[in-house]
Amino acid sequence: MVPGGAQRRGDPPSRPVRTLRVKMVLLGSSAVGKSSLALRFSKDEFRSTSPTVGCAYLTRVVHLSDVTLRFEIWDTAGQERYHSVTPLYYRGAHAALLVYDISNRESFIRAQVWLKELEKQHIPGSTVVWLVGNKGDLAQDRRVSVQEGQVLATERGLSFTETSAMSGDQVVELLLAIELCDSAHRVYEGVGAQQEVLSEWRETPLVDLCRTHTFTPAASCCRVGP
Amino acid sequence: MRSVKTTEQSRLSGIMSQRTERRGIHVDQSDLLCKKGCGYYGNAAWQGLCSKCWREEYQRVRQKQIQDDWALAEKLQREEEAAYASSHGAQTQSHAQSTAPHSVHVSLGPFSKFEEKKTNEKTRKVTTVKKFFSPSSRTAPKKETQEGKSSSPSISRHASFDTDQVSKDFVDFLKNLQKPGREIHKQCRAFIVNMSSKKDLSADELSECVQDFYQNMSDRLMGHFKGSSDSVEQVMDQVEKYIMSRLYKSVFCPETSDDENKDLVTQNRIRALHWVTIQMLCVSMDEEIPEVSENVVKAITDIIEMDSKRVPRDKLGCITRCSKHIFSAIRITMNEPASADDFLPALIYIVLKANPPRLQSNIQYITRFCNPSRLMTGEDGYYFTNLCCAAAFIEKLDAQSLNLSPEEFDRYMSGQASPRFNSSEGDWPHAGSAPDVTATNPVLAQLNHNLELLSGLSSKQERLMEAAQSLQADLLSWPESVQREVHGILEKYPLEIQSCTASAIDANNTDNDNLPPPLTPQVFAG
Repeated sequence: MVPGGAQRRGDPPSRPVRTLRVKMVLLGSSAVGKSSLALRFSKDEFRSTSPTVGCAYLTRVVHLSDVTLRFEIWDTAGQERYHSVTPLYYRGAHAALLVYDISNRESFIRAQVWLKELEKQHIPGSTVVWLVGNKGDLAQDRRVSVQEGQVLATERGLSFTETSAMSGDQVVELLLAIELCDSAHRVYEGVGAQQEVLSEWRETPLVDLCRTHTFTPAASCCRVGP
Repeated sequence: MRSVKTTEQSRLSGIMSQRTERRGIHVDQSDLLCKKGCGYYGNAAWQGLCSKCWREEYQRVRQKQIQDDWALAEKLQREEEAAYASSHGAQTQSHAQSTAPHSVHVSLGPFSKFEEKKTNEKTRKVTTVKKFFSPSSRTAPKKETQEGKSSSPSISRHASFDTDQVSKDFVDFLKNLQKPGREIHKQCRAFIVNMSSKKDLSADELSECVQDFYQNMSDRLMGHFKGSSDSVEQVMDQVEKYIMSRLYKSVFCPETSDDENKDLVTQNRIRALHWVTIQMLCVSMDEEIPEVSENVVKAITDIIEMDSKRVPRDKLGCITRCSKHIFSAIRITMNEPASADDFLPALIYIVLKANPPRLQSNIQYITRFCNPSRLMTGEDGYYFTNLCCAAAFIEKLDAQSLNLSPEEFDRYMSGQASPRFNSSEGDWPHAGSAPDVTATNPVLAQLNHNLELLSGLSSKQERLMEAAQSLQADLLSWPESVQREVHGILEKYPLEIQSCTASAIDANNTDNDNLPPPLTPQVFAG
């Protein structure tokens, strides 16, 4: 009925723009600078000056030669008490950044706990895990040496970087590295990149995100009573 | 004839009701008679009508329903035809072919409606019983398939106003897609028909069916749009909206799942956790600030509203709006954008405060029937994941997660203590022993004040009782004393009956002397 609508809706873009969504999860204890890092990624700012209400979910669009990557950055709650529910966040993630604070030994130890948890869920090859030592600007208060981080990363087969969200040092490099890594994994590998990502969605089991105990049809039978 | 009967009845029942009222059971006259006022007795089974009125009424309603159904069927048919015609003017031949079976369905609709309700009930009963005996109930629907197909248009026409609106929107949307639009519409309809015959599947199987459909549809669309994922998503959103608003009733919290029990468990759990304070969760929101509390209220409203939406995406929309309000509240409090460290506790707090209806069912429904790309990625997906986390956290919440000792936690959970007044010694303060506590806590002060008032009242009542008893004693002794007095007087002045002497009428009239002398006739000369 509306003639204008046909134009707007049904007009397929002439050039095939492939937009790939990359889900990137930030893990780590609280106060290691996850949010600042996320802010750097998406806006190249340290303290948000724009009227963003929250920086828990941020996006960044990166244009590569033949593909557009849309990074979706999922920040997670780092407090220990929420540890048990965090697996819900990194289900289906393409990249996970494991962040610790180089001036805080505790956060490095916690990072290893996170890593163990992550490895339980992690399907090798599906998620790129990156160990990130943040707050590189606090080198004078360093409690975790570069070597320690490097050793941990090599042991577990992770990539490793030290960054500073405050100065912005290495942050862009990290993002680019993830892009390349991610691209290597997803974009240039398959025949149709989009299909591949879609099929990945399909593969993700459709079990509910939130159930703690598994549901069996038999159990429901027992429920039905007079 | 009737009028006589009524008056008789009313008199009779008047007596009856008087009697019954005395016994303390009140049966109103109007409860017994036909609601139409014809004077015959009504029957609860006929909605309070007598047999004759009930037959008339029932016929009328049925007639109206049939007419309504016809009107609706015609309307839908016209819409569909219009949609096809406009989107597909050229291929009228095949159009006529394809709509022919539709119109048959539609016209079948009104008549099969009653039948369908009955079979619905029947099959439900049968299958629940069957479940006890047969390991798989999947064999049951086979014989039903035929029925299911013919009755499905009437299912889809359970048809409140919004479902009509949804299908209208859907048709409008598909018009713009030209040929594939028609194809999509056909597929969706076929799928809904197909689903309506699968009522006995478990929730997970239902979910699988819907997800397979989404997958096939999006694969085909992907081929058609040559990889433009935005267009595909747009169409898929509409498809989801159309399908899920139709299937909602049968697949939301289905009987085959234990969602309902989980809802109850969660609801009770949240109720039991009413004592959790904003400080225990370390939420950085200051509700003293009016803007913050406004946002908190809005967030609570949004999360409660989720239950009223039918389409998974609309439900997600509610969650997202709720989350945005929480972010605003945190931002106002802290003066900087909230991170996930602040957000999750705040969301948990909001969920605890709101106790959203059927939380688990809604989460399950979204998980099962939402387009998966919306859940794994995207902003909606992020907030939904957070809500799942909040629900899981509340389920597992223990002393440690609130930084409490297990004893304290148990005391709060059992209601023996409240964290509001003191956390170190959990016992109730004995009366008078804790003036400092009452000074700090307005609720306790109020409580003590009320207790004082109550004790004052009870002492007043006692006094009143005493007074009443003495009054009673006085009243009892009063007639006695009066009697005594009367007796005394009677003894003192015994009654003497004097002989009564007859006298002239005017004998007692002492004033006679004062009267002027009677007039005497006088004779005047001349």
